[in-house]
Amino acid sequence: MYFENFAALINMDGHGIYVWVSVAVTLATMLWLIVAPLISQRRLLKEVSRDIQRQQDRDLAAQKASNYEESH
Amino acid sequence: MSWLSKWLSKWLSKWLPNESPSWQWFYRLGSPRWFYLRSGQWLPWLSLAALLVLATGLVWGLAFAPEDAKQGNSFRIIYIHVPAAFLAQSGYFIMAIAGAIGLIWKMKMSFMVMKAAAPIGAVLTFIALFTGAVWGKPTWGAYWVWDARITSMLILLFLYAGVMALQYAYHSVDAASKASAILALVGTVNIPIINKSVDWWYTLHQPATIKLTSAPSMHMDMFMPLLVMIIGFYLFYAVALMLHTRNEILRRERKTSWVRELVNAKAGL
Repeated sequence: MYFENFAALINMDGHGIYVWVSVAVTLATMLWLIVAPLISQRRLLKEVSRDIQRQQDRDLAAQKASNYEESH
Repeated sequence: MSWLSKWLSKWLSKWLPNESPSWQWFYRLGSPRWFYLRSGQWLPWLSLAALLVLATGLVWGLAFAPEDAKQGNSFRIIYIHVPAAFLAQSGYFIMAIAGAIGLIWKMKMSFMVMKAAAPIGAVLTFIALFTGAVWGKPTWGAYWVWDARITSMLILLFLYAGVMALQYAYHSVDAASKASAILALVGTVNIPIINKSVDWWYTLHQPATIKLTSAPSMHMDMFMPLLVMIIGFYLFYAVALMLHTRNEILRRERKTSWVRELVNAKAGL
């Protein structure tokens, strides 16, 4: 390591605050670029499966209705 | 002149996408289903590579590279500032080229990539501006100066924002895509201005550290971690672009049978 110890790495001769703030903001925004699409992907897939379920329910109801009409 | 146009069209048909088998990948890439399934296979490996390369470059640059003789340790911000600025500009080209392909070949997949690239580019431009401002304080004594390099980067941020906003300005997806693509293409004029701004105008900003045409103006011990970080940012960009594009595919293709089959297969039905 270039620095003598961990404290020197954090302090960086007084420049630590600038460097570490830059690193923190960068990593946080980059993480958001990955996490945000993963969350919305989950939501989208859930919506699709809800659509499928609704379609199946509707088909089943239609089936029942036509069976009822046939038997009466 | 007719021989010229004949020769030109012959030459173009050879090099631009055509019906020959060697161009099949281009048409396959145009299939949202193919892209969605394939990118799902690539993503774990690409993410792992991005993570490893970024971690290596960051630790190397922050803890092991020697400090700058003039700027001291504040120069270490270069290891995120330069890669972010690099990708902010490369990402703009990717967005504009995707828009052009969409306009020329009416490829929907390409428009989806363009739409996905806009927020990623905007965030990378923000990172470049933010880290630049923080770096400016100990180096120049000011967070912000209205010089050509910084102002043209700010315009880049607005161009990305414009492309994002245009996507929602139309009821028709097709019209939104075309308008965004045209804005993206017109905006490319800003990229050479960003690149040349440090040479054309008097500025506090230091000249480019890395040029394709000459050796880097920094010591190898400092340059190697920067190179690693740039590669890492490219890998990260690929991962982010794929994730955003996959969502756009799901959003637009949610009614199709292949998406439903995919969801059913996942639910174990």
